Amino acid sequence: MMDRLETALISAHGSGDSNRLAVLYTEAADLAEDAGRIDAACFYLTHALVFALEAGAASATQLAGRLAAHNRMPAARN
Amino acid sequence: MDRINRAPAPDVSTVLRDVSSARGLPNAHYTDADVFKRERDAVLFRNWSGIGFAKDVPKPGFVKPVTFLGMPLLIVRDRDGSLRVFQNTCRHRGMILVDAPGHLRGVIRCPYHSWCYGLDGRLKVTPHVGGPGINTHAALDISTLGLIQIRSHVWMGVVFVNVDGQAPAFEQAHAPLLERWSEFDKPLHAGGAAASFTLDVATNWKLAVENYCESYHLPWVHPGLNSYSRLEDHYNIIERGAYSGQGTYVYRQIKGDRGEMLTDFAGLSEKWETGAEYIAVYPNVLLGVQRDQTFAIVLDPVDCERTIERIALFYAAPVTADLEALADRNAAQWKQVFKEDVFVVEGMQRGRHGVHFDGGRFSPAMDGPTHNFHHWVAAQVQSHAGAAV
Repeated sequence: MMDRLETALISAHGSGDSNRLAVLYTEAADLAEDAGRIDAACFYLTHALVFALEAGAASATQLAGRLAAHNRMPAARN
Repeated sequence: MDRINRAPAPDVSTVLRDVSSARGLPNAHYTDADVFKRERDAVLFRNWSGIGFAKDVPKPGFVKPVTFLGMPLLIVRDRDGSLRVFQNTCRHRGMILVDAPGHLRGVIRCPYHSWCYGLDGRLKVTPHVGGPGINTHAALDISTLGLIQIRSHVWMGVVFVNVDGQAPAFEQAHAPLLERWSEFDKPLHAGGAAASFTLDVATNWKLAVENYCESYHLPWVHPGLNSYSRLEDHYNIIERGAYSGQGTYVYRQIKGDRGEMLTDFAGLSEKWETGAEYIAVYPNVLLGVQRDQTFAIVLDPVDCERTIERIALFYAAPVTADLEALADRNAAQWKQVFKEDVFVVEGMQRGRHGVHFDGGRFSPAMDGPTHNFHHWVAAQVQSHAGAAV
């Protein structure tokens, strides 16, 4: 699963596709969170947030909320 | 501003005399890289200088990086349509934020560590700043780390900036000219691709100003204009400490083969039926107004002996398909006129390396606008030097 994601992430980085990067990093965060790896999940959520913000994607608000819930950024920053 | 201790400033006292006995600025103001840096701080960063055009960021989300005298700037059109200028430098490690003009769907993301800024300049996210996956740190108050905003103002389609932040407000600094041309305070419509062009000229920026603001050279350098616009049809425009230029009483609109003409600005007074004015807005913006069009030349002082002239023509109404050919011909004519000036400003630049040239004399009758500019530059340099002591 992670191999597929990593390949897709490298491809999306290569093409500078922010929307796709936000989606893929969110997927990586979900997997890590499901496995109880909160630090890894927040790492991926951070990347997802950055690329969602860059893409102007509505998902940024939700991603910021998830990070805030883990005390990884102030609430309602966006 | 870095004020480096350099050799003493050239003596400009003779420039500040009355036009009848004044000399022009000393050669060092055209050939000495140290004086060029001095002028950057004393003249170009200290006043309202042109850096580009509002049309360069036509819609929300558009950004355009500009390098002005080595300083990286970023023109940004925010989502609400407002235009701002920022220092194009990340507040983190000083990385250049935006390298190429374009449209942003979201934030401005630094390509180095991905600090993200809103189009209003606010710092929004500092990823991993507290360690992996931790996006906050007690030592960093992001509300104090937004992009550095540079004072800006848009007038006649030009984006002006005051880099040192100390100049009077634009409306105050240029109140006499705003009043003089208040009839042209109307929406401007950028022409098509042909209406914007650049000339890369081997000259100091001031020589482009000096040549632009006087009509003395017209019959010699632009003989094509002689047929309808003689020297005696022109008048000098001189506002001490602010601007200078020339006007004509015999402006004639361009006509197409079918007699078609460009649309006039609405509500102009009788003066502008055949009148037109061409004014240098100190320090580096050259403007022209006519009943059916305006234009702006923004001088980009690349270095002491090189200037890029960025030229844009604006119309009173959008150019419709039936007027496109005429507008293109109009742009080609202006380009020809501006190109005719290149040999003069490049020739004066080479002439300034003549070590026995003393700045030259002015014709009190014909060179008042040019002397007014020299006087202004000299006064700026002198007052800045006084303030730095």
